[in-house]
Amino acid sequence: MIELILAALRAVFVVMFGMNVAVICTWVDRRQGALIQDRVGPDRAVIWLPTGLARILALLPAAGAAAAVMALSFHDKQVRGDEPVAMGRALLFSELALFMAWATLAAMVAHVGRRGAESSLDRSLVSIGAPRRIALFGVCAQLGLLVALALVAGSPIGALVAGAAYGGGVLLLAGAMLGGAVFAAVNMRGERVGIRLLGLLHPAADGLKTAFKEDIIPLGVDRFMYGLAPWLAFFPALVVLAVIPFGDTLCFATTASGGIDILGLLDSVPGEGVCTEGALQLQVADLNVGILYFFAVAGTGIVGAALAGWASDNKYSLLGGLRAASQMVSYEVTLGLTLIGAMMIYGTLQVDEMVRWQAHNTWGIFVQPLAFILFFAAAVAESKRIPFDIPEGESELVAGYFTEYCGMKFAMFMFAEYVAMVSAAAVMAAIFLGGWDVPFLQRDGLHVAFGQTELWSAALPHAAVIALGFLAFVLKVLFMCWLQLSIRWTLPRFRYDQVMRLGWRVLLPLSLANILVTGFLVLVAQSGSEALASGLRVTADLTKGLLALGGLVGTVAMVRFLLSPPRHSHSNASTSARYATAAGGTRNATQSA
Amino acid sequence: MSNSKPLGPRKVVGKVVERPKRPVGVQTYVPEIAKGLGITMSHFFKNTKEMALGQRNDPVLEGMSDGVNTVSYPEQRRPYPERFRGVHRLTQRPSGDPKCVACLCCSTACPAQCIHIVPAEYPVGDERRGYERYPAEFVIDELRCVFCGFCVEACPVDAIRMDTGLHPAPYDSREQFIFKKDLLMQFQGRDGTRDSGNTRHEPGDPTHPGVTREHLPH
Repeated sequence: MIELILAALRAVFVVMFGMNVAVICTWVDRRQGALIQDRVGPDRAVIWLPTGLARILALLPAAGAAAAVMALSFHDKQVRGDEPVAMGRALLFSELALFMAWATLAAMVAHVGRRGAESSLDRSLVSIGAPRRIALFGVCAQLGLLVALALVAGSPIGALVAGAAYGGGVLLLAGAMLGGAVFAAVNMRGERVGIRLLGLLHPAADGLKTAFKEDIIPLGVDRFMYGLAPWLAFFPALVVLAVIPFGDTLCFATTASGGIDILGLLDSVPGEGVCTEGALQLQVADLNVGILYFFAVAGTGIVGAALAGWASDNKYSLLGGLRAASQMVSYEVTLGLTLIGAMMIYGTLQVDEMVRWQAHNTWGIFVQPLAFILFFAAAVAESKRIPFDIPEGESELVAGYFTEYCGMKFAMFMFAEYVAMVSAAAVMAAIFLGGWDVPFLQRDGLHVAFGQTELWSAALPHAAVIALGFLAFVLKVLFMCWLQLSIRWTLPRFRYDQVMRLGWRVLLPLSLANILVTGFLVLVAQSGSEALASGLRVTADLTKGLLALGGLVGTVAMVRFLLSPPRHSHSNASTSARYATAAGGTRNATQSA
Repeated sequence: MSNSKPLGPRKVVGKVVERPKRPVGVQTYVPEIAKGLGITMSHFFKNTKEMALGQRNDPVLEGMSDGVNTVSYPEQRRPYPERFRGVHRLTQRPSGDPKCVACLCCSTACPAQCIHIVPAEYPVGDERRGYERYPAEFVIDELRCVFCGFCVEACPVDAIRMDTGLHPAPYDSREQFIFKKDLLMQFQGRDGTRDSGNTRHEPGDPTHPGVTREHLPH
């Protein structure tokens, strides 16, 4: 029974994950397209709240969170009794509190700076310094705290410092949350407050709009096929996600009858091997044909597009449907052949096993770099997105195979494209980017090891390891989605003959060559000596080190980029700018419509 | 026959133009993609950061500079110049009555014929009866209006002005664009007042300078 519920829950989770990421992608696609052209993009959807209600909405969650933090620490104290605070817990709470404190302070100062200081509190806030400086100090303080706590960890005053950091962190965290919320509530002006969520409400508004649009069915269409086609395009793109594991296997205690005890998640598990009893795979279906299922289902996506083109009774639709069919069939071949190399190296078809191989050795992108590029190109072509969007080429085919569709049916075609993009990103993340693998993170905690020499290790609870893995998987999927979106905003559309030539005369031979070379190398590695095996082992660990280093450098570069002052090349002010300046600026101009 | 041109197509003497060189980087297309992605991403990151941290330009004051310069109406507005001709308003007397004397000058001057006035006489016994009329109805079709300002120029008593600084807000139907007297009298000038600068001396006031009906030869 509980297994059935868990299976349903996982299926619902995966469907919701895929659809939500796709929705966000539809929005990001347009938002990003606008931002790279120096426009704002769609962010206008808004929910207006009366200021009183908005104040309550700002205060209540913050007060609740602050109370929860205090209650948690109090409960923790009860449980611990006279035991000293664990260093990990102290570190977590104090770092979180520091981050919360400086972020809140910087946001407050930035707000006051934008609207101008009005009270003595505002003036004292401004006198603290620019938000950028506060952020810089905050990051430095966080790093300093990390180093300080690490230094005193083993020493006799360690317990004392940990206790102080824990207590101070809890107080600061609660205070920062409350203070920020009170500041926000006090500073809400006017009769109503608009909730925009950075523009994230826009896709929801768009979805609502398309749902209520008139569904025009042209005369002469095959009504059944016409209605069926959007579903056939949408469904396969979504169910592909069933074979993708979104996290490492969870281990539970077992009940007397041998089932899973859902409340008994194990505190820690051994680093090697996976529990045989009470295991919960974070995957909808662990099929033994695994990746073949992906090809089988993704292949049926062609039917939707071709059917839509045929059923629409329109010459442009028909041409678009034919183009879609021929293009997708062509790239299906490359899509399949590029993964043969990966299958040979991993020695399995099960996606979960593939991820496990990568977690144990190295990410697929290092052993199959060419296959990754080929697969990426083929996957973009498979989802019919720019630069391979000839099936809907506006310049010659109006809108291609969905010319005659409108309202929700059109939205389903568009949405199917994005879901296909998310599925392709998930497959690439699982097969080439290590799925849920975080470099040096094993099932029992962090182990920074190269070959046999272990430099540093730290035990982590089972739940934290799984959560980190899930987070890594989500980030990888989002990154691959984002890369596909960037490609869309960079490249122009290919011509039809170019698409065909690329598919059959470039990608296909290259993927065949990749299989040949991979097979040769696999044979060499298998028949090689002990020295070669250990050399490969260290190289694999080095690649993980490279990834970790890259992540670290990327984070530092991102922080540095965020803290860098804005640079604009200013040109002459326009006439309207002169008027605006005379009128007191755009924000204070006295007008209303 | 010596100077006649030879038969057949004219021989074209052209210059050999070298075909553009296509090095491996261009032919494989991958480095070019990377280069293009770099440009796309640099714009994306820079603009996203400035949007998120509130560092973007003032879209009007620095509208010609690089970066995101979209005016996010209605939170941000482009201030109109001082003499911008906006939605009309009817100025008021201190008593709250319209300044308008229903002389029909504005509706006569209007090239779009979008002003309609129903003039009415003051009731018997009112001091103003016989000197001036008042508008029983005053209607402007703001959709028809071409915002030329002729009505303002034509008005002898400074009763109609276009100094509200407003443009007509978008409405659902054409009827909503037909502004009636009450609405027109509610609008304020940009200085926030509803009266005009032209002080009107009513007949009977000690300051009234003009001739009155007493001057008429009876």
